[in-house]
Amino acid sequence: MSILDLIGLVVQDAFWSALAAVGFAVLFNVPKRTLMGCALGGAFGHGLRTLLMHTLGFDLELATLAGSTLIGFLGLLFARRWKAPLPIFTVSAAVTMVPGSLAYRTMMGILQLSLLTDPAAGATILVETSITGIRTALILGAIGVGIAAPSLLFFRNKPVV
Amino acid sequence: MREQDTRSRYHKLPLEREALRDVIDLALWAGQLLLQHGAESARVEESVHRLGTALGADWIDVLVSPNVIAITTNSGEEFRTKIRRVITLGVNMRIIDEVNDISRRVTEEKMDRFDVRQQFKRIDSLPPQYSRWQIVIMVGLACGSFSRLFGGDWPVFIVTFAAASVAMTVRQILTRRYFNGLMIVVITAFIAGVIASIATVLHLSPKPEIALASSVLLLVPGVQLINAAEDLIKGHVVTGITRGIMGGLISLGIALGLALAIQLMGVPNL
Repeated sequence: MSILDLIGLVVQDAFWSALAAVGFAVLFNVPKRTLMGCALGGAFGHGLRTLLMHTLGFDLELATLAGSTLIGFLGLLFARRWKAPLPIFTVSAAVTMVPGSLAYRTMMGILQLSLLTDPAAGATILVETSITGIRTALILGAIGVGIAAPSLLFFRNKPVV
Repeated sequence: MREQDTRSRYHKLPLEREALRDVIDLALWAGQLLLQHGAESARVEESVHRLGTALGADWIDVLVSPNVIAITTNSGEEFRTKIRRVITLGVNMRIIDEVNDISRRVTEEKMDRFDVRQQFKRIDSLPPQYSRWQIVIMVGLACGSFSRLFGGDWPVFIVTFAAASVAMTVRQILTRRYFNGLMIVVITAFIAGVIASIATVLHLSPKPEIALASSVLLLVPGVQLINAAEDLIKGHVVTGITRGIMGGLISLGIALGLALAIQLMGVPNL
């Protein structure tokens, strides 16, 4: 893939992710002044994920960790810039990376197991379902660690409660 | 941090019982608003503690559990404990923003407990920021965007947009009539699935299954699942597990609704 193709791909990816993040931000009823931050977070986070997967060959889990870490740190900037709580930006942006279709395939696999007529055929479905299930959990974990990264790494306070 | 704590412990005047009652009520109210509208447990604990101590209590202990908050306030020799039931409502970031703002202003001593009460009353009756139609269109666009991210073409985008918008409208109608949350998910996913399978039935695109996968994404419990992960990482295991299971159940509901739609329309599975 040439450099131009790559840039085109990432820019398109960033654009659609920004739109998706704003859509979810509206669903979450974020204050209007923060919509811009949500869009930027979605664009950069998801854009970075796609870039890393295409250039350095990161797998989805690791790339998600990188993307959501970027979202975590951008969230800090935005929270200061727009004077709003952190989760507004981090959650709206990270929701674009939530593994919806993997979660769906996991659940579908479980449903399929219940419809089996020949138990032997279940082995493949069982393995596939386990894989999608574990990947779903890993990606969600990566998102959680990523957006909490600033507070886990730098802003470590003595617990107040 | 430590210095501040010792100072607040020993140099605050003890509150009257009356004032202490007010402080615990307000702190609990703040916690309820945050937990109800989708804040993660660590944030709830911190905000409640910060608000309560800024209003004059020496120390506040908070117990956040999935559907209840319990608080004990201490001031001088006095203490009071109160619990409040919390029902999870939809995610509402604006309320989290407002509570955060109030808590900041109290810490800066620009507000006393009487102002805080006024402000919470105002938050309880905030008019909606976005109209129903704005939400429907934006959610439709969001799902359409996902279809593009998954490599769908323009026909898929349009079908996804239509399916997700109609599904969102249905979801709003059912939510207003107090249907059970999981039932709403199944019905909404079913309707999204039926409309999205038009792409397959009419052969609108080489990859029509993308419309099916994207049109139900409005239902994916993103905040639930992200909060579950964050809670677990930060040691709030009980709330984390509960949120995770709720998120899993909602995903199962989506799969059920979509499976019904796929059966009905006779389109191949994803």
